[in-house]
Amino acid sequence: MRQKLLNALIGIVVALLLGAILLLLQGYDPLATYEALFRYSLFGYYPFATTLRNAVPLVLPGLSAAIAFASGVVNLGQPGQLVMGALFATVGGLYLNLPPALMIPALALLAMLGGVVWAGIAALLRRFFEMSEFIVTLMLNMIADFFTAWAITEPFKDPAAFSPMTPQISPNGWLPEWGEFNTMILFMFAAVVIAWFIFHRWKAGYEWRITGQNALFARLGGCEINRNFMAVMLLTGALAGLAGGLVVMGGPHRFIRGLGANYAWDGVMIAIVANNGLIATFLYGLFFSAIQTGALGMELITSVPNEISQVLQAVLVLVIVASREYLNTFVQQLAARRRAREVRT
Amino acid sequence: MKILIGLINGMIAGATPILLAALGGAYTYYAGVFNIAMEGMLLTGAFFAVLGSYYTGSWLVGVLLAVLGSLFLSLIFILFAVVLKTDEFVTGIALNLFAVGATTYLLRKIFSVKGVFSNPGIQPIPALRLPVVENIPVLGEILSGQNLMIWVAVLATILTHFLIFQTRFGLRLRAAGYNPARLDSSGVPSNRLRALSLLACGVLCGLGGAFLSLGYVNLFAENMSAGRGWISLAAIILVNGNPLGIALISLLFGFSDGLGLLLQGYRVPAQFTAMVPYLATLIALYFYAARTRRLKSA
Repeated sequence: MRQKLLNALIGIVVALLLGAILLLLQGYDPLATYEALFRYSLFGYYPFATTLRNAVPLVLPGLSAAIAFASGVVNLGQPGQLVMGALFATVGGLYLNLPPALMIPALALLAMLGGVVWAGIAALLRRFFEMSEFIVTLMLNMIADFFTAWAITEPFKDPAAFSPMTPQISPNGWLPEWGEFNTMILFMFAAVVIAWFIFHRWKAGYEWRITGQNALFARLGGCEINRNFMAVMLLTGALAGLAGGLVVMGGPHRFIRGLGANYAWDGVMIAIVANNGLIATFLYGLFFSAIQTGALGMELITSVPNEISQVLQAVLVLVIVASREYLNTFVQQLAARRRAREVRT
Repeated sequence: MKILIGLINGMIAGATPILLAALGGAYTYYAGVFNIAMEGMLLTGAFFAVLGSYYTGSWLVGVLLAVLGSLFLSLIFILFAVVLKTDEFVTGIALNLFAVGATTYLLRKIFSVKGVFSNPGIQPIPALRLPVVENIPVLGEILSGQNLMIWVAVLATILTHFLIFQTRFGLRLRAAGYNPARLDSSGVPSNRLRALSLLACGVLCGLGGAFLSLGYVNLFAENMSAGRGWISLAAIILVNGNPLGIALISLLFGFSDGLGLLLQGYRVPAQFTAMVPYLATLIALYFYAARTRRLKSA
């Protein structure tokens, strides 16, 4: 645990230093830039609420990727599952009419269903034709992109709009705001807790983790590998789909072009940085969200284009992961040297 | 006949960036590097090609810069995956996202635009007219007037095949993937070959990216590689890295690209025709999986 924290700190400090050098090279003041970056994301009631809210579409796909990777399932289909979830929730919001207390859960379930359907296609192709889910999910991402683009330009287009987008969903499906806080963050907290519980306390989660660490051992121990694969695919699809639905219900209340943004890929990166730990995914999700949220305020103050946050994120990922593996070898070397000395004396 | 020739020309143009990227990936495939950074390298190449071509007015400088930009990503890959032993998959994903972020950032910083940069000042890679051949009826229309980079891709295919299977370098490269410990113990550091394979991949992806932004179209758009790097990865896996097989598969993807354009003429929505290459990849993957299954059970 201490080593994990130390490693995260080292990684973040080194990455921020590298980022500072990049900023200096382009003639910006790194200190003022970082100050603005974190002032507009963490310090204050409104910035913090915004950071939490923006973390939702990062943390959910992040959990999805973390559970999949830790279970030995290469589900890289979060981007596609997210937009399909968003589409399902939007269509539900356009045609259903229920009181808010039923409407919101119904749309959230529809969003999960969208993700499940899209992940399910990949899972079935793997199950029956042994097609590697790695490439299949990647290709399905592109197909989902085009499919949703078609859905919002042709069948579900808002006739009053000039660019491709759907009409607004029924206000009963809008997630309420509590002060500055959008209730979508409650879904995120619930998802983290439930996912953690399933993964670390349930028998199913135990089987998935064992399969991820050693599939052969798991099979010999009596785990149903195929059924577990299916379950992980569908669960991770549901998590990614839920993210898409929440973005629609909490944000623009309609499906606009570019809705999926880079959320899901960022989520995958976050899971990787977190070494597939669920709590770590949640924390890094908040951190990455802070960088993205603060970048917009930073641009206003310092005229540094906010796209620098994407560069900073990639640097963070590489440095944190590299320092983790480097630190691990370093600690092992130390231990080996100590043992060698003990043997000698 | 006109449609057929158009389809063939579309197929060749669609295949070229995939072919170049996949050939680059073939080097790393044989060297045992799990390299998924082709997508980012293509994108970086496409950006720097436009940058060079626009500011110097010379497509050659554009291509050169594209190769350098793509090589820069290779160097980062080498630093992290080969030197620091970071997971190759992680490095690849981070580099792809780095490429998207960096090109979007630079697009805004240098050209002050968001989304797309197109300008008549961008000098495209010229087409090559073959003096005698162009008079042959059908063949001439296909062979002559193709973009220079298409011939480079043909050359690169033959060269790659020769290098990997006929030279000492190729033997060592394959050994680095097959049994790195054995190669190390025979006095050839396998890490050096891994690094070399990544540099080769950088050069070829840079060329592919330059073709995307200076040949296929004449502009730079955010994220314009649009999954071609992933398709090239699929192409490599489908034929186990064989360069000639890669050429064949790339043509198949190029054909589906051209087919998509043709279908648009029949009032199929553009979004569905754009899906064709990705669906084709899934179908190809199906046959690959079926064959693997047969081989396993036999």
